[in-house]
Amino acid sequence: MVDASKIKSKFSYVLHLACTDCRREYPIRAINTFCLDCQAPLFTVYRLDDIRKEFQKEEFSKRLSRMWRWHELLPVLDPQNIVTLGEGDTPLLRLPQLGSELGLSNLFIKDESGNPTGSFKARGISAAISKARELGIQKVIIPTAGNAGGATAAYAARGGLKAHIYMPKDTPQANIEESRIVGAEVVLVDGLISEAAGMAGEKARAEGWFDLSTFKEPYRVEGKKIMGYELAEAFNWNLPDVIIYPTGGGTGLVGMWKAFEELDALGWLESSKRPRFVSVQAEGCAPVVKAFEKGASFCDFWTNAHTIASGLRVPKSFADHLILKYLYDSHGIAVAVSDEAITAAQHQLGIKEGIFLSPEGAATLAALIKLVQQNWIKPDERIVIFNTGSGLKYLQAARQG
Amino acid sequence: MGNNILYVEDNPDNMMLVKRALEARGYFLFEAATGLEGISIAEHEEVDLILLDINLPDIEGYEVARRLRHSSKHQLAHIPIIAITANALKGDAEKALSVGCDVYMSKPINIRELWARVEAFISSPDVQS
Repeated sequence: MVDASKIKSKFSYVLHLACTDCRREYPIRAINTFCLDCQAPLFTVYRLDDIRKEFQKEEFSKRLSRMWRWHELLPVLDPQNIVTLGEGDTPLLRLPQLGSELGLSNLFIKDESGNPTGSFKARGISAAISKARELGIQKVIIPTAGNAGGATAAYAARGGLKAHIYMPKDTPQANIEESRIVGAEVVLVDGLISEAAGMAGEKARAEGWFDLSTFKEPYRVEGKKIMGYELAEAFNWNLPDVIIYPTGGGTGLVGMWKAFEELDALGWLESSKRPRFVSVQAEGCAPVVKAFEKGASFCDFWTNAHTIASGLRVPKSFADHLILKYLYDSHGIAVAVSDEAITAAQHQLGIKEGIFLSPEGAATLAALIKLVQQNWIKPDERIVIFNTGSGLKYLQAARQG
Repeated sequence: MGNNILYVEDNPDNMMLVKRALEARGYFLFEAATGLEGISIAEHEEVDLILLDINLPDIEGYEVARRLRHSSKHQLAHIPIIAITANALKGDAEKALSVGCDVYMSKPINIRELWARVEAFISSPDVQS
């Protein structure tokens, strides 16, 4: 058991890490990756009872905006270790024209494209790099489908860490250039993120780089979970009915579910009703969809993955068990959409609402259209689709579309 | 069907982790640190399932799978083979499946998934009892 008195901090109410499967505990002041016994991801555990006693939820809304206003619920103990570029508090926008066209009266988009480095990856990487700095880590390595590489490069530079990025050679050019221009060493891999992960892992083991792979370090999900806090706050602590989210590694989906569990434990929600999660993947790489349709607990490795949505080219997430569990628990669904539908959705939202979606973001609209046609969604439900990044980072794909 | 599993793996840490996990479920584990040793054990012992690392010190796991499928011990043509790699090379999964492996898993091996994958072929003795 962890002695809470030894790590008590007023800045972060973090307690320890715990395995998401066997619950084995790990100390917060040591470098950890995933559970040594069952090799499942670790979650950060907080002193939620103390926060509940000491804070009103409204206090957080009065603070200066951005992700770190929730610092009690993030893992960094000393504020001097925070590495920020102004991530978080992205807009939640109503989509009246598109909603009207689809017959939906409460359609919203959480637009993550305004984050530093142009994508939602900034949140998780800010948390991970900050905690890495606090733990004395000086060099980090990451396999990436694109945007996480750009974010890692930028936050590492900001925090004075060295970064090594492994990405597929056909990753959007913007991701390659944004990583190089801030000083990261970029290795282009003949393969997908899974192959990049293997190579990065080998280098990490051989040369002592800290591996920031999705869920193989515990803190990226903590930054991502703040999307869930922001949604709860924006909806006046009454969570939306449906969240439609693109799923590659699944950190955002898992993070938001963790946020909702914490919010429930904090007693801050007006209703304990959780949103139904929709996991969106591309038809050319849909391991979660395939597993969900079989009722499975794990995904099979997806072979020959291909899609224009590079962030969705993840043949198997390290957290597939959690993604599937939360889909089932939320009474949600997993949907695969074609590249043609993604491109059409990208144009449709651009024309109707003036937002240039990333292909992954457009996939959520394509999935919504499918679910409306299947009557899975009711016209008056409060629905949030997610744009995870700026379309400007995918100009080549946009031109081809 | 019995409960004997052969694990072909040269990394002692991985071997120990998997051994502990499978023995906890009542399986018996044969251990082989090289591909040739693995083939020999498969041909001479009663084995019900093979866990096969791809990156081995002597011959690649793909070649091990190929030889097992063409072995004179005919049962090996159909024995379940679960390929396990650190997927350091392009197309590992595709290649593993094309040489006759039934399932592909990448490291690190999630133990709960390992149990599920193994139990899909042979029931856990502990769960049966």
